[in-house]
Amino acid sequence: MTPTTSAVPILELRGITKSYGSVKACAGVDLKVDAGEIHGLLGENGAGKSSLMKVLLGLVRRDAGTVLVRGEEVALDSPQEAAELGIGMVHQHFSLINGLTVWENVALGDNGKVNKQAIRTDIAEVSARYGLPIDPDARVGTLSAGERQRVEVVKCLRRNPQILILDEPTSVLTQAESEELFAVLGRVVQEEGRAVILISHKLAEIAQATDRVTVLRRGRIAFRAVTAETTPQLLARQMVGREVSLGEEAAALGLVPTGERRKGGGGGPEGQPPVLRLAGLTVEQGGVRLLADVDLTVGPGEIVALYGVEGNGQATLGDVLAGLIPPTAGTVEVTGNRVDVTRPGALSKAGLGIVPEDRHHSGVVLDMSVAENLTMKSLDKVSGRFLLRRRAMLAEARRLAGEFNIVTPSLDAPVRSLSGGNQQRVVLARELSGHTLVLVAAQPTHGLDVGAIEDMYARLRAAAAEGVGVLLISTEFEEVMALATRIAVISSGRITGALPVSEATPERLGMLVGGEAA
Amino acid sequence: MSAASLSDPDDLGRRLLARLRPGRRDWMTAGLTLALIGVAGGVSALLLTLTGASPSASLAAIWTGSLANTTGWTTTLLNTAPLLLVAVGACVCASAGTFNIGQEGQVLIGGLAGAWVGLRLAMPGPMLVAVVLVAAAVGGAAWAALSALMLRFRGVNVPVSTLLMTFLAIQLVTFAVSTPWVLQESVQGAGDIADAQSNALPAHAQLAGFGHYPSLQLNTGLFLALVATVAVALLLSRSRWGFKVRMVGLNPRTAQHAGVRVAALGGLTLALSGAFAGLAGGLLLTSPVSTNRLQAGLSDNVGWDGLLVALVARNRPMAAIPVSFVFAVLRAGGDFLSATGVPSYLVDIVKALLVLAFVAPPVLVDLFHGRRGATPRAAPAVSVVPAKTEAAA
Repeated sequence: MTPTTSAVPILELRGITKSYGSVKACAGVDLKVDAGEIHGLLGENGAGKSSLMKVLLGLVRRDAGTVLVRGEEVALDSPQEAAELGIGMVHQHFSLINGLTVWENVALGDNGKVNKQAIRTDIAEVSARYGLPIDPDARVGTLSAGERQRVEVVKCLRRNPQILILDEPTSVLTQAESEELFAVLGRVVQEEGRAVILISHKLAEIAQATDRVTVLRRGRIAFRAVTAETTPQLLARQMVGREVSLGEEAAALGLVPTGERRKGGGGGPEGQPPVLRLAGLTVEQGGVRLLADVDLTVGPGEIVALYGVEGNGQATLGDVLAGLIPPTAGTVEVTGNRVDVTRPGALSKAGLGIVPEDRHHSGVVLDMSVAENLTMKSLDKVSGRFLLRRRAMLAEARRLAGEFNIVTPSLDAPVRSLSGGNQQRVVLARELSGHTLVLVAAQPTHGLDVGAIEDMYARLRAAAAEGVGVLLISTEFEEVMALATRIAVISSGRITGALPVSEATPERLGMLVGGEAA
Repeated sequence: MSAASLSDPDDLGRRLLARLRPGRRDWMTAGLTLALIGVAGGVSALLLTLTGASPSASLAAIWTGSLANTTGWTTTLLNTAPLLLVAVGACVCASAGTFNIGQEGQVLIGGLAGAWVGLRLAMPGPMLVAVVLVAAAVGGAAWAALSALMLRFRGVNVPVSTLLMTFLAIQLVTFAVSTPWVLQESVQGAGDIADAQSNALPAHAQLAGFGHYPSLQLNTGLFLALVATVAVALLLSRSRWGFKVRMVGLNPRTAQHAGVRVAALGGLTLALSGAFAGLAGGLLLTSPVSTNRLQAGLSDNVGWDGLLVALVARNRPMAAIPVSFVFAVLRAGGDFLSATGVPSYLVDIVKALLVLAFVAPPVLVDLFHGRRGATPRAAPAVSVVPAKTEAAA
């Protein structure tokens, strides 16, 4: 083989292997990315996408394999080396400092003397060239999630990367924003001979934005193809490793369900009092209104979705309903009774269960056992006045583990040792045990693999069918469309509108998400 | 579902020792600890030689002073009790995620409160001892509670406030024992100069020994400390309250969400650890380990050493028992050693090196294995679960 200049891929990975302990994150992965293409990297959570990219960024050392940049073998031992080679990444979770301004954040990581004027000029140039308008003097903390994502991209592009890695970039963008971003990237990549690796678990996004696609499954390459020649069905099958219908399961794969739209779903009869009513809920922190006058009701057996782009007050609402922060004004009522949310445990006593957005942070105690985590909210059941009754605790835990199909080596194993899906099931099982009337599920499928997502959907539906009112806080359009009977949209802490799912279209929701009436 | 493994035996010992079950990492830790103890021994020997002492003679002196005969044992066991009490208190609040490092001051305040009550109240024998000890515990608790209040109302960092309160406590006790109308000793004859110390507690306000053994004294204080240790271990592992404490310590947000009053519980455990330190001060005052007088030097680093015991025992009350014994051996032996002319700061250095040898290995092993959490600890669980459950997951 005598490769001509144009045929040399800008990046080539050969046999990359990386293990953590006994877990093989990547097993002999080969990947070729040509200049001028957007290459999709598709895979479930835990398929090895992130590990592969960490190797590429010099953040972790590979166990075996070679990396070639423009046909030359490179060591990639440090992030500095990766940066010098022109490999840059926009991370899934922001790495910005809220207290600093945009230009200061962009300058972070630069070497040598900081020249404010030069950096601001750079930002203006990059912004203009890529169509990413941003005010360099704005404080990052005051920006919306979409704007912050833009700062991340600008920060990365300013370093002039030849290979740009985008890790799940659209979870915080509206559909319009993400389409715009991909349009710009597509243009830049072709004109300037760069390459983009787009990591995603969303089929629709991969199909829309990429030229070629590689599917990873359990650390190995499962499939590669030119995107235009594949179908979502094919990609889905390769990603999950089994046949999937795109009806019920579609939402788990990031597609709008193609099956028949469900009707109003087990909603209680009209006139039945709502199980959850939020009235005028307002939260102010340091002069910033995180939630403004939120009114929302959830009826028994109803699944109401609160849809919106990340960072628009959903997390705050979740914290209020978990009893973690007190509202500045407004009330929370469960079955018509006002609940004093500032009293510890009052909400759960009233019958409100919550699957919090960040399960590690406030959902489970990682270093306590599965049994302890399952029973920590119903201590009355598993203890006397003073002593814990371990037998009762184990029995209750065994019952819940069986009912919710929690896979664990033992009930005494720390929750830390469980997979993400099983950890989430522990939370769900605990929150649904007892006399739960309302379940608040905040981003319940974040970070779960397809199987676990389907399971979560089924359980949320089952809970609703049993008469539990479900408030689903989600940023995933497809998820909302698949589950909800009614959709309320939140933007900048305000509810901008609510519609039954039968009237919801991407356009109407998109306008509401953007803060406009539809 | 791995149903078979779910029916675990329900035995107490296993629960208490659950965290002591050895794994590969634990063996590594143990090996490293032994190696570091060797290094500590080597460095100590070198230092002793440099200061002109003989390492072997020094080792012999430590042995003679602590374990070679019944007198040594008596001193060692007398030293064990207050160390253990301080350590157990530290375990309680560390379990709740609160870090009290002001035990030294709390010990002193406990001694002050105990001395005040013991010298001012006229009461019949055994009752007075009990009242002195209770007063000491209450004093220590109140002193620590001040830090809890500072956190609650002013957001003052607990390690900082407890630490600084120690220096306040030293001043307070110094003032008390050098001011005649407070607690300074009364002058016997004309021309005598009163020292900066209180009168000795009346004999019936001193802790008795229990049991009679030829020349070996076992003080009731040790019994008290052991009972307290077992009680705390049980409380933390088996009680509803202990469950909540552990929850707060491991994840306060989840605990709050589950209905635990996190701030109140944190404050309570801090006060409780102060109570244990205060009780240790009461022991120092009433047991034959000291002169039964309040002095500014009463605490004699027991607070700091007790904190180190908890550190080495990694906040497990039961593990604190042997560790506090080892520290007591060093204290008793060290005192004997300095009586032979070896500077006492060398004994402190040896102690510090040994603490490092015990505390460093777990951290180092974690470093070898990559950062906590970055390495999937999930590894064993994944291999236990049969492959087909993966599809079901």
